[in-house]
Amino acid sequence: MHTITLKNYILSAVKIIFLVSLINLSGCVTARIEDNRIGDTGISEGEGIVILAKSYHLGNDTETDFIKCVSSNVSSGSSSIRVVPTNEFKNTLFPWFEPRTAPSDTDGLARLLARGKVSNMISNANIKYIVWLDGNTDSAGGGGTMSCALGPAGAGCFGFAWWQNDSKYEATVWDIENSSNEGNISADYSGTSFLPAVVVPIPLFARTQSKACKGLSDQLKVFLTG
Amino acid sequence: MKKKHLFISFIIILLLQSCSSQIVIKNPEIPELLIERSPYEVAVIYPESFDNFIHEEKVIGRKSWKIDFSDSNKMLFNKILTSYFEKVDERKEQDNSLNSYDFVIRPSIDAIEFSVPEQSQDETFAVWIRYRIKIFDNSGSEIINWPISSYGKTSTSIFADEQDLGRAAVLAMRDAAALIILQMEKSGNLIL
Repeated sequence: MHTITLKNYILSAVKIIFLVSLINLSGCVTARIEDNRIGDTGISEGEGIVILAKSYHLGNDTETDFIKCVSSNVSSGSSSIRVVPTNEFKNTLFPWFEPRTAPSDTDGLARLLARGKVSNMISNANIKYIVWLDGNTDSAGGGGTMSCALGPAGAGCFGFAWWQNDSKYEATVWDIENSSNEGNISADYSGTSFLPAVVVPIPLFARTQSKACKGLSDQLKVFLTG
Repeated sequence: MKKKHLFISFIIILLLQSCSSQIVIKNPEIPELLIERSPYEVAVIYPESFDNFIHEEKVIGRKSWKIDFSDSNKMLFNKILTSYFEKVDERKEQDNSLNSYDFVIRPSIDAIEFSVPEQSQDETFAVWIRYRIKIFDNSGSEIINWPISSYGKTSTSIFADEQDLGRAAVLAMRDAAALIILQMEKSGNLIL
């Protein structure tokens, strides 16, 4: 009786390990992060930043989830920095950071700060830097074939498919007080996702976007703290 | 027999529902505008359609979409005008007191268009709203006739097409607010 229980435990453990391995399997990703520092940065206790997407009127289509991911990573963990939520910032300063009205360069920021109500609101919120995110994740260059069938005896797939994932993002840091560009960080992550299937399809996704988020956030923390 | 009819009706309703989507925008939550107030007193006259504005469109070969703006356009203009002018009163067309105001404002909607991912071939929903704003002085002469072409775009999220199109519509309304304020400020020294 005792042996059967032990055998069941072992089988369960093997099943769990197999499932966890399946979930964690992913395609290989190559990464490149570069930063280009123009000015001196540094952030004091209590000072914060806001992370915004560049306007879609400028052809940018950074995913909302990516902005949330970077905001969450920068505001947590070691050397965390206070991040003002994007929507709260845009609503408080409405309508000056909408896609049509947001400043596209630091001269535009200086003009915007000449409005007393805007500069008061920003200084009351103790925001030191604006971080503009640009870029997106694309899937392209796929190939392979896969066919699936469903019958009375069950269902299954057979084949092999792959596609390329490219995540290219850039974060530009503006100092609000001086209306100056402090530099930028670019993150370029690419990888190939695979989907082999022998009865059951096993996805091996190249998680370029989540890796780009982690890489860019870590570098952004280093950049901002100086 | 009755049960059979009921079952067929249920199936037909189910099929019809799967071929159309409805979005209701009850409150677009337009924030207070951070602008300097102009010292004028204005009357605003809304068209009847602003009480319950519905836009319906069928995407060729696909399902139809219905955006129910409810009275959110009224909310949008109330927010813009009360943020910009010292005093704003809503009035009806034949009101005798109109000439006691500095200006009378008549907003309307010329056209609404949208695109869904099947049309644009990318993962985005976009909404265009063309508002028109006419401003009259206290003698009743038209001094301003602005077309305001606003645009909102959102990327798709999983299983939430209606929400995504709704968010694009709200972004278009926020864009309209920004455009109207820019236009008002530009012409502020010249006419208003």
